[in-house]
Amino acid sequence: MSSAGAGTTVSLARQPDAAAGRTPPKGWGHGPRRPSGLPWILPAFVFVVGLVYYCIGYTGYISTLTWDGVSPNPAHVGFANYITAFGDPVFWDAIRHTVIFFVVTFCVQTALGLTFAALLHSKVKLPNLYKVIIFVPVVLAPATMAPIFRQIFSATGQFNTILGDIGLGSLEHPWLAQSSTALPVIMAITIWEWTGVTFILYFAAMTQIDTEILEAARIDGASGLRILTRIVWPSVRGTTIALAMLSVIGALKTFDVPYLVTLGGPNYATEFLGTFIYRISIPQAEVGYGAALSILLLLLALSGAVAFGLRGMRRN
Amino acid sequence: MFETRRLSSKIVLQVILTIMVLPFLFPLIAMVQESLAGQGWDNYRVVWDTGVVPEFFRNSAIIAAGVIIIVYALTMLAAFGFSKLHIRGREIYFWMMLAALTLPEVVLLTPLFSTAIRLGLYNTYFSVMLPLAALQIPFAVLLTRNFVNGIPDDLFDAARVDGASAARIFWRIILPLTRPIAAAIIILTLIGAWNDYLLPLVFLQSSATETITLLPSYFVSEFSDDQTKVVASAVITAIPEIIAYLCLQRLFERGLTAGALK
Repeated sequence: MSSAGAGTTVSLARQPDAAAGRTPPKGWGHGPRRPSGLPWILPAFVFVVGLVYYCIGYTGYISTLTWDGVSPNPAHVGFANYITAFGDPVFWDAIRHTVIFFVVTFCVQTALGLTFAALLHSKVKLPNLYKVIIFVPVVLAPATMAPIFRQIFSATGQFNTILGDIGLGSLEHPWLAQSSTALPVIMAITIWEWTGVTFILYFAAMTQIDTEILEAARIDGASGLRILTRIVWPSVRGTTIALAMLSVIGALKTFDVPYLVTLGGPNYATEFLGTFIYRISIPQAEVGYGAALSILLLLLALSGAVAFGLRGMRRN
Repeated sequence: MFETRRLSSKIVLQVILTIMVLPFLFPLIAMVQESLAGQGWDNYRVVWDTGVVPEFFRNSAIIAAGVIIIVYALTMLAAFGFSKLHIRGREIYFWMMLAALTLPEVVLLTPLFSTAIRLGLYNTYFSVMLPLAALQIPFAVLLTRNFVNGIPDDLFDAARVDGASAARIFWRIILPLTRPIAAAIIILTLIGAWNDYLLPLVFLQSSATETITLLPSYFVSEFSDDQTKVVASAVITAIPEIIAYLCLQRLFERGLTAGALK
């Protein structure tokens, strides 16, 4: 998932007024004097909508072909590629991995982000140092970090060394080579990379909580944990919903980490829709099938965004 | 948030926090350690002496700068139009753009690939720059539009009474007043463009155009038997990113929270 996506859903969910079209048209003056905005939005609109919708349309067309991407006369096969997809166990594996990935990374990141934010709002020493450590992974490219993660989790890697050092040698493992542990490692890496975003959003949201309420709760004898679950958690709900939507789209977009760390393997254990589509479309050159999978992915991403976006708006 | 009036609770919180951040620090320490394994600092010298590192940096910088310029220019124009000018059916246009937010890059691969080849853009900066910009603009417009909505209409009324044209208002009022959000957008776009992997992977095929995210794979084929040099190259790419973040820490954090807070 791209970093730019980070804020994306945040404002979709948090600022529904501007986005939902519920507000009356705004603009200075009233009546016909207002200059037309069309020429102003046209460059961005034509560029984005042109490129994106052209590509989607093109992909939709290709999805009805059996094509290797270069041959001049691709065969039209109608919906055959979609039927292949629904019968392809790897496709369902990829969906299952995406769901597990979303649930686990979202829950862990939420718990960690919330705890870090609460701890750093508690007058600890050197807050900025901790902030930097949590946030640095966000600015580092997953592609840059992939080689070291491959090394850390390899059979002779640092992770096994640490396990040995703290007396858990029995857990040592070729983490990436075994189907059952490869997916958890991919999730752990993602959590490492993205908790900084969750943290920083919760941290910002918490600055907007009325300190008097917290003070009152404390005087009434509420424990830190109770304050966190009863006061803080409900008041950052908007952020949580936004992060959930962000995580759904992020999970569907997952590519860099599984591609670079495990190549979707071993035995498809870390195959995601992104890596699957890439492998089918580029190295295997089954462009028609890849396009059909792309359209399915797009439908999933759109419905995920709509489902969470609408929920967020109702709450508001 | 938590009680810190007693010394004991202060220490407990500090210890919990420290233990919790250790896993975040660990990969970075392991990375530096690994890059110095075997031949020590010579790993860095060998990587640097290949001479490709600055080239990859230059490519990333050119692409990121191009994306930022396109995104900034088109976003500012569009946000002004959406927020303060008259557009019939404006929300339809807006939502058509916003739908692009959910779009995974991988969906664009095949059409972009054949189009890029047909237009002769394959293995040029543009083949990565243009789709990246198109994917970044919707969110930037969303943020900036919300920001411009917060600028009072009176300001524009007054300018209109004085006979200022829309273009003049854009230049004299919108651009200066949107600087805070512009900074956030530039940072967001920078991270997105700089860290992108899939588009360069597919569209860039020579070290004259490849970006730094492709550097580790480049060195994997170069030093297949020597993981330490690959990691050393990763450290070299990570350092400028960390420095940039440390220097502009507030901007980075504001960039990411810009959508959440008004």
